[in-house]
Amino acid sequence: MSRFNVRKVAVLGAGVMGAQIAAHLVNTKVPVVLFDLPAKEGPKSAIALKAIENLKKLKPAPLGVAEDAALITPANYEEHLALLGECDLVIEAIAERMDWKLDLYTKIAPHVAANAIVASNTSGLSITKLSAALPESIKPRFCGIHFFNPPRYMALVELISTPTTQPEVLDQLESFVTTFLGKSVVRANDTPNFIANRVGIAGMLGTIKEAENFGLSYDVVDDLTGKKLGRASSGTFRTADVVGLDTMAHVIKTLQDNLADDPFFPSYATPAVLDGLIKAGALGQKTGAGFYKKVGRDILRLDPAKKDYVPAGGKADAIVDRILKKPAAERLKLLRESTNPQAQFVWAILRNSFHYAAVHLEAIADTARDVDFAMRWGFGTKQGPFELWQDAGWQQVAAWVKEDIDAGKALSKAPLPAWVFDGRTGVHTPEGSWSPAKKAYVPASTLPVYARQLFPETVIGSGAVDALKSGTELFKNEEVRVWTLDGEVVIASITAKLHLISPTVTEGLLKAVEIAESGYQGLVVWSPDDVFSAGANLESLMPVFMKLGAKGIAPEEKKLQDAMLRIRYAQVPVVSAIRGLALGGGCELAIHSAKRVAAMESYVGLVEVGVGLVPGAGGLTYIARRAAEMASAGNANADILKFATDGFTSAAMAKVGTSAIESRKLGYLLDSDVIVAHKDELLYVALQQAKALFSAGYRPPVKKAFPVAGRNGIATIKAQLANMRDGGFISAHDFHISALIADVICGGDVDAGSLVTEEYLMAIERKHFCGLLEHPKSQERIMGMLQTGKPVRN
Amino acid sequence: MSNKQVQDAYIVAATRTPIGKSGRGYFKNTRPDDLLVAAIKSAMAQVPSLDRGAFEDAIIGCSFPEGEQGMNMARIAVQLAGFTKPVGGVTVNRFCASGLTAIQMAADRIRVGEADVMIAGGAESMSMVPMGGNKPSFNPAIFERNEDIGIAYGMGITAEKVAEQWKVSREAQDAFSLESHQRALKAIAAGEFKDEITPIEVLSRTPDLATGETIVKRRTVDIDEGPRPDTSLEGLAKLRPVFAAKGSVTAGNSSQTSDGAGALILASERAIKQYDLKPLARFVSFAARGVPPEIMGIGPIEAIPAALKYAGLTQDQIDWIELNEAFAAQSLAVINSVGLDPSKVNPMGGAIALGHPLGATGAIRAATVVHALRRHNLKYGMVTMCVGTGQGAAGIFERV
Repeated sequence: MSRFNVRKVAVLGAGVMGAQIAAHLVNTKVPVVLFDLPAKEGPKSAIALKAIENLKKLKPAPLGVAEDAALITPANYEEHLALLGECDLVIEAIAERMDWKLDLYTKIAPHVAANAIVASNTSGLSITKLSAALPESIKPRFCGIHFFNPPRYMALVELISTPTTQPEVLDQLESFVTTFLGKSVVRANDTPNFIANRVGIAGMLGTIKEAENFGLSYDVVDDLTGKKLGRASSGTFRTADVVGLDTMAHVIKTLQDNLADDPFFPSYATPAVLDGLIKAGALGQKTGAGFYKKVGRDILRLDPAKKDYVPAGGKADAIVDRILKKPAAERLKLLRESTNPQAQFVWAILRNSFHYAAVHLEAIADTARDVDFAMRWGFGTKQGPFELWQDAGWQQVAAWVKEDIDAGKALSKAPLPAWVFDGRTGVHTPEGSWSPAKKAYVPASTLPVYARQLFPETVIGSGAVDALKSGTELFKNEEVRVWTLDGEVVIASITAKLHLISPTVTEGLLKAVEIAESGYQGLVVWSPDDVFSAGANLESLMPVFMKLGAKGIAPEEKKLQDAMLRIRYAQVPVVSAIRGLALGGGCELAIHSAKRVAAMESYVGLVEVGVGLVPGAGGLTYIARRAAEMASAGNANADILKFATDGFTSAAMAKVGTSAIESRKLGYLLDSDVIVAHKDELLYVALQQAKALFSAGYRPPVKKAFPVAGRNGIATIKAQLANMRDGGFISAHDFHISALIADVICGGDVDAGSLVTEEYLMAIERKHFCGLLEHPKSQERIMGMLQTGKPVRN
Repeated sequence: MSNKQVQDAYIVAATRTPIGKSGRGYFKNTRPDDLLVAAIKSAMAQVPSLDRGAFEDAIIGCSFPEGEQGMNMARIAVQLAGFTKPVGGVTVNRFCASGLTAIQMAADRIRVGEADVMIAGGAESMSMVPMGGNKPSFNPAIFERNEDIGIAYGMGITAEKVAEQWKVSREAQDAFSLESHQRALKAIAAGEFKDEITPIEVLSRTPDLATGETIVKRRTVDIDEGPRPDTSLEGLAKLRPVFAAKGSVTAGNSSQTSDGAGALILASERAIKQYDLKPLARFVSFAARGVPPEIMGIGPIEAIPAALKYAGLTQDQIDWIELNEAFAAQSLAVINSVGLDPSKVNPMGGAIALGHPLGATGAIRAATVVHALRRHNLKYGMVTMCVGTGQGAAGIFERV
């Protein structure tokens, strides 16, 4: 066996996709060379250079931190083809022209390394036809690799083989893309637009048609086909605007050019309204107008009848809202039976999606699972079409769909395939998902890489066990489950809403530490959903506050601080497995752990200033301690303030990292912490880390006093704040809070270099936290946040 | 010394380096003490007949005398400049008036008769030592009284306070800044800086990672880096205020942060005769005055009348004024309050265009005045500036 090591990747084509794929490779520490055509003037690699520069400005940010753009090597096909020899993977992402791609392949073929994989990021061209231009030596290592835009954030990557692709090539690529790029792979057949875009775009075309049939405006359709339907919040038309109407038309054209025999062919016609918009140059978001247009702060929608933009904001009828909240079986029945045109519309698009998916499954994918996953990961839907169908009652829905087909209401007269009616109750079963081609239920991939996903995403009906019901339960209260999967490491999962830290959560975490110390190798704080912890639960403290005021809060705050120290000084390593938000108290929990393992999409920060408070559970104490550690690492007499200033700024400005990489830059993750590309590998890696720490003879940190910047440091920070206040950048209350933060970080009104303990600093934290709780302006901020969810600026 | 007597002090040599932009300019890797050595050597070259052993002392101004410009840069520079007999040196600091103060102190050594030949100058690399120094630290006591808060202020916000209190509009500031650039460019085109600037060779040393060799590149720079021909009112108007949310002070109407050095040689009449020197100007008077720190920019309003009084001159007798343009806001407040003739103020542009290497500026602008008076056959000239934490300084020179 020889492992596929990817030392370096070449991305060919510095367009929107190519550049962003390069950016994501850099995010995950894969060295990358970005190629484009030689520029006619200026530096030869100017096109790639410009694309790299542009990555820093693009929103949503393709890079974890903007300065990492410098890690992408710009190149051009004239001077740098030799660099291909160092690349183990070549991803081609140039414009969707068969002739251009074939030319390029001919040009690069002699330079490609002997064992490199060559893959095209085409969104619709035939991979097998592209393969034809390659020499025989490369063909076995050629395949399709289809990323979705924006590649950093969209989970899906479709891999497509050709008849000549060696099977292990796809296995190697799937393993690399999963662990190192953090993407979720679906294997697709080599059919036009592959799976997600085939089903997704056909669905959008169907939606446009049904919206016309039922006379619904775009804003109402988007409200109906967004979150309420378990789909991406941008709905249908806004999604089209974001994708770009020209891009959408291109994908539609691929359907039109290649699928003349498809029974749904007539439904692939470009809608007149789309054609009209494109001809008028209204290509969506990138040109400022499409189905919608933003004028100042107002969003306008196109009214095709008036051929003009009118105010948007239309919502679904309340009755439909209510129906959409019902369980699947009841929901579909009510939608179908309702006389409300919106309900009928929703039924129609769902019916079309079931119809389309069932008719095409055999051609486009191996199993129904692949279609459902492709729609979840590529289009952001909660369930794929087969899942919803199965959820709602397979045979009943099948009968309804058949009835509509027979009545001529569907997009095509093509009947549902025979297997639909073979008495089944669905396509997903514990033994696998239905494969019409194989006429069997096919289990999920057994590639070794998936052993790293202890709780992978699963489809309905697969019989997978919920993580929170797995393993051996060791303790449980209303907001924390303490359990173990392997009998070696304890897992604490916070189950409270947004995983807010209340006294109940604290109790559960302390219990977890106790259990872990009693006979396990370590403790991992992990939860199966997409948030680590959004902070301390302020509401849970309200009753005490109402009764006793801030005096009553101080003992509660002390308990939380003590819990943080208990975690920090536990006899076994505590590893925080971070994913999504880790704010305020959540951040404090993470930074007091022995180690952090963070998914790429982790957003860590101390945000208490937003509610008029200071971090009160050791966050500022951590910043002071880290400053002392960093200063003494260089030089015993180093300027502690210099190291404390960044931490001060992060806390005083409530900065939150926009990625795990940026969170590390803010100081909330350490260089020795681990960033995990795939969210579903997080628990596996965290458990491994805990065991490795234990095996290496883990001892908690030695408690010792450390120096602080003292009163001069406070004055120096306050001098900066005075400029901001008197320049009108911050309010007097901001100044007040920031000065209190400085007071904690610098250790209070003491001589520079004074030695302090964590407990001493936590007492100052507590004093200021409680003092601010009684400050009317902070109270305004807290009430504002609780009532509107938005920060109050006062 | 038994023959000690009160005597006049004359400038017999005055020169400076070009001014580079800090951070990314041509002196970004040139040490300030190297700039100073180059300036001193250039000044020495202007007086070949002067005995290299005649120097009594060297006084050098610097605003943040630490790091690359620490360790008493004055002494180090005169040692490296290679005098025939060792010369002492002192580095002095009055922030932006450091260079001018160095000249005043050198002149005073001569005027009290304890010296006959002195070196004065200033050097600053804002590329290497930032404004505020490497380790800013404020005294907690500044927060005890409201009137002390200005000590905490950065220079930008003091300019905002001046703009507000002296009612200097954004438009007026931008127009003043454009004029500064235009005057500077015109003066450069006319070769007006040739007398005062000594070209300097800049070396860059970078590793050739492949061969392990050091790649040494040399270039000679002979003109200030700051003036921008593309400056326009529209461009200036687009810049956002940086020091106050609703302010008027921008990067475009503030002085540029810079690197540079200036050096002058001062001599007594006795030394002039003894060494056959040609005096360029007489040092007439100097005054420094304190003002509230939060409006430090108005310092010259207090210092100018004081310097005139010591000189026994009236304002209209001054033909050429180098008013350091820390900010357009404070420059205009000073010009309007003192009633200066705008055509006599910074005829070759000021710090907004040319740059402002803090402690070097006084010496650099003294070189400007001394040569401009001679070139235009004028009599009296003045160098004046505001000073951080609340001061003004002014020095008067007379062409001889």
